[in-house]
Amino acid sequence: MIRILLIFILLSVPAFGADELHLYNWNNYIAKETVDRFEAYCKCRVIQDYYSDNEELLAKLAAGARGYDILVPTGNALASLVRQDALLRLDKKLLPNLKNINPAYLNTPFDPGNRYSVPYAYTVTLIGYNVEKMRQLGLPTDTWAVIFDPKYLARVKGRVTVLDSQRELMAAALKYLGYSANDTIESHWDRAMRVILRAKPYWAAFNSSSYIKELTVGNIWLVHGYSNDMFQAQNDARAAKRKFTLGFSIPKEGAVLALDNMVIHKYASRPDLAHKFINFMLDGKNSSELTNMIGSGNPNLAALKYIEPEIAANPAIFPGKEELKKLEMLQDLNMEQRRVLNRIWIKIKIE
Amino acid sequence: MSRKLLVVSGAAVYLFLYLPLLIVVAYSFNDSKLNAEWVGFTWHWYKLLLDDDSMLKAAGNSLMIALTASFASTVLGTMAGYALYRYRLKLLPVLIMAPLAIPEILVGVSLLIFFVAINLTLGLGTIMLSHIAFCVGFVAIVVRSRLSGMDESLFEAARDLGATPWQAFRLVTLPLIAPGIVAGALLAFTLSIDDFVITFFTAGVGASTLPLQIYSMIKIAVTPEVNAISTLLMLLTLFLIVVASRVSPGSVRGR
Amino acid sequence: MGKNLGKWLISGPPVLYLVVFFVIPTLIMVLASFRYPGEYGGLAPIMRHDASGAHINLTLESYQEYFSDFIYSWLFLKTLAYAVITTFFCLVMAYPLALLIAKSARKYRDLLVLLVILPFWSNFLIRIYAWMIILGPQSVFSQLLNGFLGLFGIDPVRLLFTPFAVVVCLIYVQLPFMVLPLYANLEKHDPALLDAAQDLGANGWQRFWRVTFPLSLPGIYAGIALVFIPVLGIFAVPDILGGTRGIMIGNLIKQEFLEARDWPFGSALSIVLTVSAMIIVGLAALAARRRVGRDV
Repeated sequence: MIRILLIFILLSVPAFGADELHLYNWNNYIAKETVDRFEAYCKCRVIQDYYSDNEELLAKLAAGARGYDILVPTGNALASLVRQDALLRLDKKLLPNLKNINPAYLNTPFDPGNRYSVPYAYTVTLIGYNVEKMRQLGLPTDTWAVIFDPKYLARVKGRVTVLDSQRELMAAALKYLGYSANDTIESHWDRAMRVILRAKPYWAAFNSSSYIKELTVGNIWLVHGYSNDMFQAQNDARAAKRKFTLGFSIPKEGAVLALDNMVIHKYASRPDLAHKFINFMLDGKNSSELTNMIGSGNPNLAALKYIEPEIAANPAIFPGKEELKKLEMLQDLNMEQRRVLNRIWIKIKIE
Repeated sequence: MSRKLLVVSGAAVYLFLYLPLLIVVAYSFNDSKLNAEWVGFTWHWYKLLLDDDSMLKAAGNSLMIALTASFASTVLGTMAGYALYRYRLKLLPVLIMAPLAIPEILVGVSLLIFFVAINLTLGLGTIMLSHIAFCVGFVAIVVRSRLSGMDESLFEAARDLGATPWQAFRLVTLPLIAPGIVAGALLAFTLSIDDFVITFFTAGVGASTLPLQIYSMIKIAVTPEVNAISTLLMLLTLFLIVVASRVSPGSVRGR
Repeated sequence: MGKNLGKWLISGPPVLYLVVFFVIPTLIMVLASFRYPGEYGGLAPIMRHDASGAHINLTLESYQEYFSDFIYSWLFLKTLAYAVITTFFCLVMAYPLALLIAKSARKYRDLLVLLVILPFWSNFLIRIYAWMIILGPQSVFSQLLNGFLGLFGIDPVRLLFTPFAVVVCLIYVQLPFMVLPLYANLEKHDPALLDAAQDLGANGWQRFWRVTFPLSLPGIYAGIALVFIPVLGIFAVPDILGGTRGIMIGNLIKQEFLEARDWPFGSALSIVLTVSAMIIVGLAALAARRRVGRDV
C-alpha cells in the first residue's frame, strides 16, 4: 500500500533533468502519433493542455498563466497577443522548414512579416450532421437556416448543438443574416442576437468539444462546429460501425475560416525546444500526418503529396477557389466591442 | 417512523448513491470508446491508463496536494478549534466560519485575483495554499464539536491536581479529542482530493489535478479511461481506510 | 499572562493564515469590483495618469450593469430556486437514511456512515459524468422511462441537457453533506427519551414528530447550510448537464473570469451572490434560533 502511494508521489514530482515542452493547443488538434514521434526525435516529453475557444486561451494568459511554451491561437487571438507583447520573436534561422509554407498563408494582417507566428493548420466552422436523419427529416444541409430557422429546427428539436463561443456563434448568425462575420454594427449584432434567441429553445446545448462524441453516439444529429472535429466524428462513427454516417458541409451563406498559428509564449521556459517543435511540424511528412489524422486544412506545400486523396478532395477540409470566396477570417475586437459582445452573449446564455 | 419504512427508504437512498458509481465501474470494462451501450469486456482502458503519463501525474498531484493540505489544515484547524472552545474571542468564529459560509467560487475567484496581484505564479503551491485555507474551518468545526461533548471538569481536575496547562492539554484533552482530529483530517483530505472549483481557479500550467484532468476529459471527449481511473481511485481509498482501521481502529470509528 | 500567551500561541497561526489567504483576497476582490477591466484582461491600474495629473480610477459601472438589467437578478433567482429545490430533496432523502444509521446496531453504524462517505472519494466530476451516462437518450433508464411514457401516448422526454438533469445531479453530489450532520445529531439522542415518550403513550409517529424531529433541528439547520450555500456557486453541473437552459450564476462568474476577461464584473457578481447568500443564511439562522429557543 505504502509502495503504491510512493509511486504516485514520485510520479507527481516532475522528473528532474527530463526535457519538457508545454503545448497549449486546441483539443483534438494534434495526432498522438505525431507527438510520440516528436518526443522520440527531441528526446523530450510533450505536456499538453487544451482549450476549446480562443477566449479561453486569452483569459488564461491574462490570468497570469506561465509555463506554456507553444500556443496555437487563431488569427484574431494572435493579433491580440502580438499587441499585448506576449510573444517571443521567432528565430527564423532555426526554422528552415518555413520555406514549405504556401506564401498565401504568410504575412497575414494578424502578424505582418510573421515575426511571431507560423501557420499550423486551418479549419472551417461549418455544419455537421447525421446524414440519414437529415434525409429522413427532409432537412437541407447547405444553409445556416437549418441551425437558426425554427421552421427547420422544429423537426430536430433537442438534437442540435452549437459552439459555446461568442465569436463563432455570432459569426454564424451574422452570416445567416447576410452580413459579414466581422460586422460590428450594433444593430446588426442585435438582429443576430434575436435570431439566436429565437433558435435557442430548439438547441440542446452550447457545446464546443464533446459534440464529437454526441454525434458519434447518435444523441445529436446536427451541430455547428469545426471541420476537423467533424472529420474525427465521421471516422469514429465508421470505426464504431454505427448504422449511420456523418457528413459536413460549408453553408452557402459562407462561413468562418480559422487559420491557426504556432507561436512561442514570452514566458516560455524552453524556447529552444519550441523552435524545434515548430520546425518539426513544418516538415512536409509530419504536417501531412496532422491532416491525415485529424482532418485539418494544410497550408504546407510540401505536405500535399502525402495527403490522402480523399481528404484533399473534400472541399469542406480543403476549400477550393469557389468556397474560399465565401470564407472569412475573424478580426480582433477592441475592448469596447468585446464588452458589448459579452453583454449580448450573457443575454443569449441567460434568456 | 416505522422501522420497515425506514429500512426501505434508507436502502433506496443507498441505491441512489451507488447506482451511478456502479455504472461508472461497469463501463470501465466496456469495449467501446463511446460509453453508450455495452459492447464487451476489456482491460483495455486500464492498460491505456498505465501508459497515460498525464493522467497518472494528475493523480499524483492530487494525492500530494491532499496529503499536504490535510496535514497543514489539521494542525491549524485543531488549534483554531481549540481556541474556539477555550477562549471566547469575538471575531474568531466569524473568521473561521466565513470561508465555509460563502460559495466556493468566491474563494476561488478572490484567491486568483490575490495570487495574480502579489505576482505568485499559479501552480501546485497556490493550489495547496488555497486548499489549506478552506480546509482549516472544517477541521476546526469538527474538533470544536468534539470538544463541546467533552467534560470540562476533567481538564480542571487535571489542573487542580497540579498539571501545567500544557500537561493537562496533552494528557487529558488531546487523547479525548484525538478522534475528532482524525475525523477532521479525513474530512480535509476528502475535501482537498475532491475539490474542483477552487483548484480550477488557482491551478497553473502543468499543475493539473485529477478533477481538472477529468473535467477537461468530460468536456472534450470522455473515454472509459476516466471510468478506469475513478474505479482505481475508489479502490485505493477503500484500501486506505481498511489499512487505517487496522492500524488504529479507534481513529476510523471516531471513538 | 500565561493564559494570554497561550491564547495567542494557539489562535495566532490559524488566524494569521486565514487573514492572509482569505480576508485579504476577499478585500482585494471587493476592490476589484470597483475597478475597470484591463485592456487585455485582468484589471486596469487603480491610478490613471493624464495631462491634468493622477486620478483615482474607480467606478460603479459593474454594479450599475447588474442592476440595469433584470436578467441578472432573474438568473440569481433561478439559481436560488435550484438551491432551494436541491436542499429540500436532500433533506427528504437524507433524513430517513441518517435515522436508519443512528438506530442501527452500534457495530454497523461506522460501516453505514462509511458507505455514505465513500461516493465522495470517487470525485465530484465522476459523479456528474455518471449522470451524463444515465440520463443520455441511449441509456437503459431513458429508454425504460420513455417506453413507459409511450404506453400512455406521451411523447419521449429528453433528460440530458435539461434543468431536471441539473437538479438530480445537484441532489446527488450534495446528499452526503446533509446525511452527515443529521447523523451526527441523531446519534447523540438519548434513547431513554423515546422510551419515556412511549411509556406516556405516544405512538411511533408522535414519538418522531414530538421528540426526535425537534431535537434534530440543529442537525437539520447544519445540513441545510452545508447543502444550500455550495449549490449557489456551482458551475460544473450546469456546465456539463444543463444544456442551453440550465445555466446558473456560477457559470456567469466563471465566464467573466475565464472567457470574457471582465474581472470587475465577475467580482461584482460574486459579491452580490455572497451578500445575498449571507443575508438568506443570516435570516434563516435568526429564524432557527427563535424556533429552537421556543421549543426547548
